[in-house]
Amino acid sequence: MMTFVPRLSLLLFGLVLLGLPLAVGATTDLKQLIRDIEQQYMGVSSQALMQMEVSTSNWQRSLEMESWSLGRDLFLVRIIEPAKERGVATLKRNREVWNYLPKVDRTIKVPPSMMGGSWMGSHITNDDLVKANHIEEDYDLALLEESDRHSLIECLPKPDAPVVWGKIVYLVGKQPRVPRKIDYFDEQMVLVRTMTFEDVRQIGDRIVPLKLSVLPHDKPDEKTVMHYRELVYDIPLEESFFSLRSLTQR
Amino acid sequence: MLARLAFRNLWRNTRRTLLTLSAMVVSAALLILALGVFSGMFEDMLASATEQYSGHIVLAQSDYHQRRDLYAHLPLQLVDAEALRATPEVTGRSGRLRGFGLLSSGETSQPVELLGIRADQERRVTRLHRFVSSGTFLDAADEDGIVLGRGLATRLGVAPGDELVFVTQAADGSIGNDLLTVRGIFATGDSRQDNGLALVPLPWLQRLLALDGRIHEVAVRVAEPLRADLLATRLNSQLPDDVTALGWGALLPEMREVIASYDVSRMIFVAILYVATGLGILNTFFMSVMERHREFGILLAQGMRPWAIRRMVLLETLLLGSLALVIGVTLGGLLTLYMQRVGIDLSSQITPITYAGGTILPRLRAVFVLDNFLVPAVTLLLVSLLAGFLPANRAAGLDPVTALREE
Repeated sequence: MMTFVPRLSLLLFGLVLLGLPLAVGATTDLKQLIRDIEQQYMGVSSQALMQMEVSTSNWQRSLEMESWSLGRDLFLVRIIEPAKERGVATLKRNREVWNYLPKVDRTIKVPPSMMGGSWMGSHITNDDLVKANHIEEDYDLALLEESDRHSLIECLPKPDAPVVWGKIVYLVGKQPRVPRKIDYFDEQMVLVRTMTFEDVRQIGDRIVPLKLSVLPHDKPDEKTVMHYRELVYDIPLEESFFSLRSLTQR
Repeated sequence: MLARLAFRNLWRNTRRTLLTLSAMVVSAALLILALGVFSGMFEDMLASATEQYSGHIVLAQSDYHQRRDLYAHLPLQLVDAEALRATPEVTGRSGRLRGFGLLSSGETSQPVELLGIRADQERRVTRLHRFVSSGTFLDAADEDGIVLGRGLATRLGVAPGDELVFVTQAADGSIGNDLLTVRGIFATGDSRQDNGLALVPLPWLQRLLALDGRIHEVAVRVAEPLRADLLATRLNSQLPDDVTALGWGALLPEMREVIASYDVSRMIFVAILYVATGLGILNTFFMSVMERHREFGILLAQGMRPWAIRRMVLLETLLLGSLALVIGVTLGGLLTLYMQRVGIDLSSQITPITYAGGTILPRLRAVFVLDNFLVPAVTLLLVSLLAGFLPANRAAGLDPVTALREE
């Protein structure tokens, strides 16, 4: 998920930078465009310090985490606070998710049946970590609506794509070009959750929203808020940094 | 006098009587045996549905059974509730905490249902400890042991002595994780339990889930499982408002339907067999009455009242029926006893079948149920009376003059 935010923002931001007219392109052009841009950023790395606040009807908690990403398929996040869970880490390699538990000093691979489960107790799922970065591969994109201020992009799953959602709708602001809201629908086209973006900042030469909230619609009194405290792009990172062995170290 | 006459009449045609008698005996005995085996199968199913997992009655928050909500917990003290202790029908009670999470060994992980139990309590409610196929069951002093289903153990590739990690989200939102040591592996034949259930010590799970001193349910064993629903209703009036007692009939509605359909099929079975037997008896007595027209004519001519003749013939059938009953029930009892003690093992031909929440084991085994003797016995007597009624009427309605002239 953490990669997802900068990645998505980068993607959309890239669209602006390149000045590519979303409106004129036919569907195939739009896809080609997004794929090009996604791949253009392959190999770009990032490091972030973030705070995740999760509130459910039964408890509330705040986690401080550090994360690293390389390309779109390598991602590592480690809990710093609270002390009880310090060192709990998640590694995403391609389409696999691994968790490291320092208390028992074990690495656990999340099985396919649990990919829809909650990640670190939040309203973000393991699937989000894995599949959000492949939206343009797994979905057909279409420009739904366009105004002076916003664009609305609809994503419908490709027939055989291994997707979780029945439909995803992106609301993208134009100035600056950042996501404002993403609506997730299940296979029955029922709105399941909404992701909203705030706190738009300039980070280096990019503009990204630093705060993102996940609102599950089946539990109206619950939400997860992720706030990026620090975000640095293009730091030197090796692929070996994202190995199972390095997951258990530190 | 009439009875002695009737008894003597029976043996005037020994072969015919014996043939009818044997038909009655065999039908009664076979019916008793079949019903016993039927009941045995049914008992296996009910036992697997209740005694391997849920218990006969479960006390929990009212919708816990459907939702399995982690937060629907109750105080541990509920196990020793006065309502339970004061009810003599309650023979065992076990406080349990339930957690869902990931059980992991090496690179493989499996989603699992973890049941936190106190081994000494659980042994008195379910029979899971009897299905341990390797290793041992948990004992009361165990701190971090786990007993898991065979399918689960196979998928995780573990044997007794191996270590497992359990990860879940605790009630306070934190990531609960800890090590467990495999103590034993059970194989019940019910795939849902064998592939997805594991037992751990209650205090261990309470600590992991951050639910100290809490349980989700109290599983109760009762002396008479078939009366569990009634007892649950009675318990409900004595329990706190936030606790609901549910009998297995409510927990496993499919199982209740199986019983209802069993009762119906039992009656159909009895009816079919006894219609055949009844026709046999009817035939015998019609023949006997036809052959004895002259005799009845003499009796009537001598002043015997028609109702006495009718009573005599009815007495004959009743005597035959009673004789068949004694021999048939004895024979049926012996056959049932054999099937109870020895039974027939079918495991080489079929595998266990899970149906309606219960498992039908690959064996034929009979049990003694009073109904299975009463129903055939009473029906046999009724059928012999019914079958004797027409011939008796005919005999009583004879005109002495016509009857005497016959031959």
